[in-house]
Amino acid sequence: MGESVEEDVLRQVGVKPSPLYAPLYALKTMTKNRFLIRNLVSREVRGKYRNAVLGYGWTVIEPALLTVVYFFLFFMLVGNPDKLYSVWVLVGIIIWGCFGKSLQAGVTSLTRNKNTIHIVYFPRLIFPFTAVISNIVITLMSCIVLLPVIYVFDLPLTIHLILIPAAVFLAGFLAIGLGMVLAPLNCIYRDIEHLTRFVVRAGFFVSPVMWTYEMALERGGFGEIAMFNPMLTPITLARHGLEGKFTTLPAEAILFSVLTGIVLWLLGSFIFERTERRVVKYL
Amino acid sequence: MTPNAIVLENVELNFPNPKGFMSSIKNIVSKSEDDFKALNDINLAIQTGEVFGLIGKNGSGKSTILRIIAGIYAADSGSCRIKGSTSLLAGLGTGFSQHQTGVENALLYGSILGHSESEMRGLLPEIIEFSELGDFIHKPLRTYSAGMKARLGLAVASAICPDILLIDEVLGVGDPQFREKSKQRILELVKKTGTVVIVSHSFGLMTDICDRIGVVHKGKLEMVGEPQDAIKSYYDLTG
Repeated sequence: MGESVEEDVLRQVGVKPSPLYAPLYALKTMTKNRFLIRNLVSREVRGKYRNAVLGYGWTVIEPALLTVVYFFLFFMLVGNPDKLYSVWVLVGIIIWGCFGKSLQAGVTSLTRNKNTIHIVYFPRLIFPFTAVISNIVITLMSCIVLLPVIYVFDLPLTIHLILIPAAVFLAGFLAIGLGMVLAPLNCIYRDIEHLTRFVVRAGFFVSPVMWTYEMALERGGFGEIAMFNPMLTPITLARHGLEGKFTTLPAEAILFSVLTGIVLWLLGSFIFERTERRVVKYL
Repeated sequence: MTPNAIVLENVELNFPNPKGFMSSIKNIVSKSEDDFKALNDINLAIQTGEVFGLIGKNGSGKSTILRIIAGIYAADSGSCRIKGSTSLLAGLGTGFSQHQTGVENALLYGSILGHSESEMRGLLPEIIEFSELGDFIHKPLRTYSAGMKARLGLAVASAICPDILLIDEVLGVGDPQFREKSKQRILELVKKTGTVVIVSHSFGLMTDICDRIGVVHKGKLEMVGEPQDAIKSYYDLTG
């Protein structure tokens, strides 16, 4: 038959590296599919502000308006706060919003792209990646709102402002890991996305969005508990950067946040690669 | 004997039946008995250069076989081996963005189908020409009619030249003139491509272009043979 010779040329469909390599494979996927990811991100970002007269202006207006609301709320509850308080709330809203929206988009990334998944195959890790990267891009755009803030509140223009984008990336990094863990599960139980929405809402109050790390420290014991929130670091880093100081956060807090991100990345890519093929059948 | 391009051996595929909480958890780890058997013991060897047709009723598993070959679904047991690259033509224009222009969508769709940036830039003039969209190519997709979108989708999808082409019912879009043109284009593509697997309900076309046809019924490959025999067997099976 002469078939045995030819058999060598055939390759098995859908062979993947062992899930143990998944964290590295995930990185490789990201660099290898840059063109696709860029196109998908631009679709998502543009689609978001479609038909809006103010268009991308909303990236800036939305956190600004929210800040006004929260400022008045806090003003009524507590009385006359620090004049920079509204700025800290604004930063909190931006960074927490980046995490929350990235996480929600990441969790629903497979279910939302069901049609694409049924028709073409490309590494499915690209779906959560795209979801999170789009939100990082949108958040970076909304950081423009900080420029007039710096001017109005007479904040220093220093190199430390670099901490703000760093904080955005850290928030996105935390979201991508968690998104990779939950996205496959959400294919089976859509409950996950409803639960995520709740967690994001609740996390808004548990994380230092409407309060600051310094406020927590003044309260004593409470501050130590707050340290166990990986989102404390990105939000506080961004605030300190805006204040023009390197950061007074203890190294443990920063380390804790970064390590959480790394653990979530390892865990997330492993779980995602391991389960992705089974869960797409539920879509 | 010509070498094989696609070899499916004892391929089985189950779709999970999501029921209880625990049963679906178990499903991620192992398969359970009450799953829906979409494909049952499929054995098929398609030779290089062959145009192979798959017919069967809706839900019989034809498209699932294509998806296994394309790597969209992984077989639960058995193996699927192929030679070279595959491309599945199905649901033209998946992932189109309403708010971007025709060109941007062509690049987007091309990248979804697995093309690199340089490849797409090279193919772009041909895509634009084939789509016959004229100035509309630079307008946002929301201004397009359904037929125009379909034309753009087909223009991008058919610009590719994989080793193995998988076609799932994409004929018959647009107005009669374009439908004829798209049929010609796909036939051309079929001729150009080494190996083709095509799923369609238009038996006339299938008889014309296929070398062999397989009949899929209830997840099983009931017979493989000459087009005429296969169509006869299809009617025997389905009544």
